[in-house]
Amino acid sequence: MSKSNIEEINRNIYDFKNKDEYDYKIKKGLTREIIEEISKQKGDPDWMREFRLKALETYNKLELPTWGPDISELNMDEIATYVRPKTNISSSWDDVPDDIKDTFDRLGIPEAEKTSLAGVGAQYDSEVVYHSMKEELIKQGVVYTDMETAVREYPDLVKDHFMKCVPVADHKFAALHGAVWSGGSFVYVPKEVKVDIPLQSYFRLNSPESGQFEHTLIIVDEGASLHFIEGCSAPKYNKVNLHAGCVELFVKDNAYLRYSTIENWSKNMLNLNTKKAIVGKNAQMDWVSGSFGSKISMLYPMSILNGEGAKTEYTGISFAGAGQNLDNGFKVVHNKANTSSVVNAKSISKNGGKCTYRSLVRIGENAKNSKSSVSCESLMLDDFSISDTIPVNDVRNDDVEISHEAKIGKISDKTIFYLMSRGISEEDAKAMIVRGFAYPISKELPVEYAVEMNNLINMELEGSIG
Amino acid sequence: MNNIKINETPVRTSRNFRINNIEIDGTSFDSEIGEFNNVSLVGNSEAEVSDFDLTFGLGELPINQIKKNANQKIRFDIKNKTDKDYKAFFEFDKDNFSLVDNIEIVADEETKGTVIIKYNSDSKIAAFHNGLIRVNAKSGSKIKIIIVNLLNNLSINLLSIDNCIEENANICYSIIDFGGKMSITNYYSNLIGDLSENRINTLYLGSENQRFDLNYIGELRGKNSKINIDVQGALGGEAKKNFKGTIDFKKGCKKAIGSENENCLLLTDKAKSIALPMLLCSEEDVEGEHSSSAGKADNKELFYIMSRGFSLKEAMKLLVRAKFNKTIESIKNEEIREEIIGEIEKRL
Repeated sequence: MSKSNIEEINRNIYDFKNKDEYDYKIKKGLTREIIEEISKQKGDPDWMREFRLKALETYNKLELPTWGPDISELNMDEIATYVRPKTNISSSWDDVPDDIKDTFDRLGIPEAEKTSLAGVGAQYDSEVVYHSMKEELIKQGVVYTDMETAVREYPDLVKDHFMKCVPVADHKFAALHGAVWSGGSFVYVPKEVKVDIPLQSYFRLNSPESGQFEHTLIIVDEGASLHFIEGCSAPKYNKVNLHAGCVELFVKDNAYLRYSTIENWSKNMLNLNTKKAIVGKNAQMDWVSGSFGSKISMLYPMSILNGEGAKTEYTGISFAGAGQNLDNGFKVVHNKANTSSVVNAKSISKNGGKCTYRSLVRIGENAKNSKSSVSCESLMLDDFSISDTIPVNDVRNDDVEISHEAKIGKISDKTIFYLMSRGISEEDAKAMIVRGFAYPISKELPVEYAVEMNNLINMELEGSIG
Repeated sequence: MNNIKINETPVRTSRNFRINNIEIDGTSFDSEIGEFNNVSLVGNSEAEVSDFDLTFGLGELPINQIKKNANQKIRFDIKNKTDKDYKAFFEFDKDNFSLVDNIEIVADEETKGTVIIKYNSDSKIAAFHNGLIRVNAKSGSKIKIIIVNLLNNLSINLLSIDNCIEENANICYSIIDFGGKMSITNYYSNLIGDLSENRINTLYLGSENQRFDLNYIGELRGKNSKINIDVQGALGGEAKKNFKGTIDFKKGCKKAIGSENENCLLLTDKAKSIALPMLLCSEEDVEGEHSSSAGKADNKELFYIMSRGFSLKEAMKLLVRAKFNKTIESIKNEEIREEIIGEIEKRL
């Protein structure tokens, strides 16, 4: 028998919480003293300490967005921006404390590492607790480590790239990130090295009334290739948690990067994340994104096509249930000739959830012979949910082909009738149709994640009928 | 200069995208408006225009100017069961260069009518036009409205349109938007009645430094209501266009259908086009779709036409004519059709 509403759904896999134990938790709020203390606790070099303080100044000058979901409930005075777990970074799961290891076991991370990943990073609250990579990649010169180690061991590489793709002044939460960032992953793939098996970082926020501000910096050098997977989850608390991470991707000439995300934050999370990629000559950047969790999400990955012949693809799905407002989308700026972008975005709203697809396609004056194709589909599963599409297409030269299509509607009664006439229940018929709707996204994911996504869809849908 | 922001979109997006509104010189609304007498009217009513409050409109200053200082107040009462033409033609010249017009069209139940509103200007006059067209289409009425803006490229053209469409009523617009160094339109339809319908076919043609800002909003409330927005344009010179189209399915508009299509032909590499085709949806049982495209003329088509002895310029004109043809041909008045075709020739 189907359950009657989403709140009854068993989210044990994600919603279990550990005792709020930590080695150090900074006091709540955002002041110069707090930033200085975070910097001290993390042992930052001077340049990073200065960087954080300047970012704080920028944060204080910038306004909150005047568009999108209402985030007025976010009170930075109630958020602890740095929580250090009771462990140091380790390269063996045996050295990770039992309660934290148990968390990642339940999320299936060590198992996935054994079977299908070339490397894993695991962050718990503000610090990375586990990081390891296959020996053969180390021999090829691939670097996959936590950001703090990268700041210490690869200072020039980090200085040249850190918050250069996402400048601190980009928006208020980029500035916040610059001031309080902690944890995250650093990847460098040397020229012509092809990393065939994905690397994965998993981010878990356990501490209540806190924020996670991990920084992911990936440099895929000329002719190299990489598939990077990011997963994230958190248990549910009564007060809001904040995620304001930052992902900076540098895809050099002729390189390839695929960045896949399954985001399943708890439904008290404000997910105000920033992701950008700078794509070089004849390089390709592909984004695959599944967004299921969060109370409010404002997430618009961006590709900046700076090299001639650069390509990007975005394939994404958002699924908003009760109490969720997922304002997601994609931005692409074509700056050079012969560049192309393909966007395939889908959204599903139900139980009063709100999905918004918000996007920008900008084709600049110099992007001659560039092409962009955007397709956007929204599915409404009941008559009290909301689905909006807000795309901007900005064309600044005549030698382009740009097309945008969007559709909005419900599951066809005829299709349900057809499936039911073949002996399938209404509930199963709907789930089958929704899985078919999401298939173009799930087929782009590694099989384990496609299965997880289908499970999430099943889990979400269970409450939607009856 | 005292810049003000007008023509706000119903839902804002990032300020960096530069499409939420448009800035214009606000001093135009402070200055004294003289008389405007060069107008020819057919079928207008003696009745006064009614008071109003708008859901949208261009903005506070332009709308207040119309409320307080309109120098033309025109009302058309449509009472015929068979189609009849109503006209308001405005000619700007050196003695009539500022027009603030308040036009009200009221179509009684089960009536039919075609209203043609046209703005022309002397080629040397920097005209100022701030207008409002309000339409109340009562149950079962079928109204066609043709708006032709052929002002010169020195002028400013501001237009707010506000429609209320009742049960089973239908308003069909043809909007020819060619004139003005700046032409800004705010179009709003409230499809309040079940089975109400609204079709909008717009053509814009930009050259030199013209700037267009078109903000079309349709709110569907009635069951089985329907809106179709089709905007076709061509931009030459350094012309720039913002198209903002919003179809908003309100809760309860079951079986409503909304579609919008915007296509921009870029004739030069200095022309710029921004489109924001929005769909907002709070009702499940609807069909909504939009499409938007932009690009230059198809080389194969140009080659084919030029292989028949036409120059590149002539071939371009032919392509623009072909693109605009469906909307132009839908205008029954031959004189107006010829005038529009002549303008395309002249402006390209």
